Amino acid sequence: MTDAASGAAERSVQVKLVLLGEAAVGKSSVVLRFVSDEFQANKEPTIGAAFLTQKCRLEDRVLRYEIWDTAGQERFHSLAPMYYRNAQAAVVVYDVTKATSLEKAKTWVKELQRQANPNIVIALVGNKVDLVQPSQPSSDSVAVDAEDEADDATATPGENAGSTSGEAESLRQVPREEAEAYAQEAGLLFFETSAKTGEGIVEVFTEIAKKIPIDQILASTRGNAGRGGAAGGRAGAGQEGGVNLQENTNKARDACSC
Amino acid sequence: MDVDAVVFGTGLSESVTAAALSKAGFSIAHIDANTYYGGDDTSLTLDELVQWADQRASAPRDNQSTYISAQRKKYTSISRSSELVPQSRQYSLSLAPTIIPSIGPLIDSLVASGVSRYGGFKLMERLGMFDRPGVVRSVPSSKEDVFKSKELSLVDKRRLMRFLVFAAGEFESATELKGKENVPFFNFLRDVFSLDERTARSVAYGLAFCVSAQDPTLSALQRLRRYSKSVGRYGPSAFLVGHYGGIGEVAQGFCRTSAVSGGTYVLGRRLLSVSSLKSEDNSPSGRKYVIELEDFPDQLACDLIISSPDYISTELFAHASAVMTSTPSLLGTPSEPYPVARCIAIIDRPIRFCAEASATRAAANADAPSGEQVLPEKIATGEVDTAFLVFSPSSVPSGSTTAAVHMLVTGEGSMSAPSGKWIVYISRPLLGDDEYSSSAEELMRPYLDATLSLTTSASDVAGASPAQPLFTLFYIQQLPPSPASTDATSTTLVTPPATSLISELADAATEQAEKIFWRAAELLNASRKSEDAKKVEVESFWPPLDVIEDEPNLEEW
Ligand SMILES: Nc1nc2c(ncn2[C@@H]2O[C@H](COP(=O)(O)OP(=O)(O)OP(=O)(O)O)[C@@H](O)[C@H]2O)c(=O)[nH]1
Ligand SMILES: [Mg+2]
Repeated sequence: MTDAASGAAERSVQVKLVLLGEAAVGKSSVVLRFVSDEFQANKEPTIGAAFLTQKCRLEDRVLRYEIWDTAGQERFHSLAPMYYRNAQAAVVVYDVTKATSLEKAKTWVKELQRQANPNIVIALVGNKVDLVQPSQPSSDSVAVDAEDEADDATATPGENAGSTSGEAESLRQVPREEAEAYAQEAGLLFFETSAKTGEGIVEVFTEIAKKIPIDQILASTRGNAGRGGAAGGRAGAGQEGGVNLQENTNKARDACSC
Repeated sequence: MDVDAVVFGTGLSESVTAAALSKAGFSIAHIDANTYYGGDDTSLTLDELVQWADQRASAPRDNQSTYISAQRKKYTSISRSSELVPQSRQYSLSLAPTIIPSIGPLIDSLVASGVSRYGGFKLMERLGMFDRPGVVRSVPSSKEDVFKSKELSLVDKRRLMRFLVFAAGEFESATELKGKENVPFFNFLRDVFSLDERTARSVAYGLAFCVSAQDPTLSALQRLRRYSKSVGRYGPSAFLVGHYGGIGEVAQGFCRTSAVSGGTYVLGRRLLSVSSLKSEDNSPSGRKYVIELEDFPDQLACDLIISSPDYISTELFAHASAVMTSTPSLLGTPSEPYPVARCIAIIDRPIRFCAEASATRAAANADAPSGEQVLPEKIATGEVDTAFLVFSPSSVPSGSTTAAVHMLVTGEGSMSAPSGKWIVYISRPLLGDDEYSSSAEELMRPYLDATLSLTTSASDVAGASPAQPLFTLFYIQQLPPSPASTDATSTTLVTPPATSLISELADAATEQAEKIFWRAAELLNASRKSEDAKKVEVESFWPPLDVIEDEPNLEEW
């Protein structure tokens, strides 16, 4: 009868995920790597926000991540609360070559813990590890984006540097142990990643997927739909609590490799 | 900062307008005095709602902002329970409880703008009319319902069927309606279709959601037709309820889309001043208005202001223009807005919609030993998660004798409450009379009690007491002032509410937004006189969604 009732979204669980973090730490790049397995050396600062979706298979379940990538340089801090309000997961990103970005990340974590859904799964992600890995020479193209970066988005120091191993090591401003200890203390998942090489990216999303209380989400969206009550009787098996307004959402979407 | 338009208020209408303008390519700044999105349409956590109420109920302070003064005039007679309720953040309580017909401008806009991807909706499970304590009558709305009905005599069935066929068709040109467009719908049903009193009440209040016996025929018929067409689009009910508290979340979705298209958002800042620059030479940017916000680095310059009435100072009101949906539209003739007395309550036992038949059966059972109370198929539990109930006039002792009252309950299924809790919203239209001397609580208490009576199902042990609410808030929502002018050249456009009817709110706001959008586009293009300022070509309310947005993954970059 309706497209929605027979929708392919039936068994997939929607998970709203928001990315937060200082400007230019690589939020958009992390998402781009996860969603399209690409990297752009001179990614432009996000204006406002961007919305993406990606499916992620976890054992017998399919998660559909609805990803809100926010703008680090958003001046008035007005948008972020809207994105994390009903989010089930948050990825707070910092740049391992920039100590202040971890401080910013900590304020985001605090705000999330104070304001967001109390069950939100938070992952702390230290990005750009390729820049501090001796074996990973950074390409010239990375250097370009330093110029491109806008106003308050400070350039990553490492990006102009050459890449002998000693120099690379010295670029690191946030020791892994320090960030990891903080994450543990604050009850966060912790990862180091490189959107550039892809290192650690998929893990972020799979580990989050494992911690999401999927059954709970399913129960709350589906649970009461069947109570047709006296007159209507039970609703059809295909009908879930949620209604998908778009008629054309049944397209197959690639599941991510995870 | 220099933008084409500044939009004040993030209610549904303003948010849809902002999204459409941004998507069309105009630059906007969207401001809200609150730290949350949605304005009068917002959904709040329980703590936020308590704060919201207390701020509006407290004694006025000197130096109050225009916005807060306006809000204090709009929300009156506020009283709330004082016990703390745990899990505050798991509630999304709506200031504008709404049910959304599956066919209409809002749903069209949600799909056309892509905003539907950001939010979820739940299909209304049940719709009924309050009969008497513990008993809810279902409303026969389809041929099958009428056919199956045990309440109707054969003659009544035939009459009702005839009416339903009429109401589903192109009645505008039908002889039955000629000259009767504005007679009370109730009379029309009786006189033209010979419906008996009870059936006429079901149709007028339970299907067309008339709020009084005086509601005119044409608009009632138009609503009824639209609602019955909505049945089956997404499921057996005509109506949807938004997840996370309804249209507040929908409004946020439109703000997100606006932000994705480059709209700038500033929340929680007080509006200090709006100066209109008579001569454009005075303005360094060539813009018409300069706006100052508290704690805001720079001034905002713009050519057009779009605002909810609450932000508009007296001076600005004088040359502001209302964009009303008073002309007949897709929705038909809108019903005039009216003040509404409201009750929001949280309960921890489900409401049951027990039909007459099972209630009678259960009443017979009530005397029987408790072992026999499990009714066949358990259908009679009638528990609802998300449902809508109509109290027709005079259906509740010491309730209204003239107005129909609406009750919406939402639970975990609409993501608005934790498991095992439900939010009850009751809206009572204030249509004049002597109601104004009573407090919101006095006006609403009878309806709250009647609603709570539905938490004891007829199959419960006789004498089981109804649920006690964990939280209650009562208040009256008055109508904001509306500018007298509808001058089409004014560059301050105000958005007074187009209707107060729970099933029309969302669509009326969307229609209003579309009108404002077109007016704004015209005015903004007209102000781009100089050669270097290119006009924005606007072809439709929503530009086609980028193909890329429909691609599996990459939606916006
Ligand atoms: N070397 C290296 N560069 C990266 C990595 N991730 C991102 N970048 C670069 O860092 C710059 C900023 O990346 P974005 O993804 O735009 O950062 P963002 O956090 O989305 O920035 P805003 O949208 O302004 O908040 C871009 O030039 C990227 O190419 C990484 O893992 N390694
Ligand atoms: Mg970005």
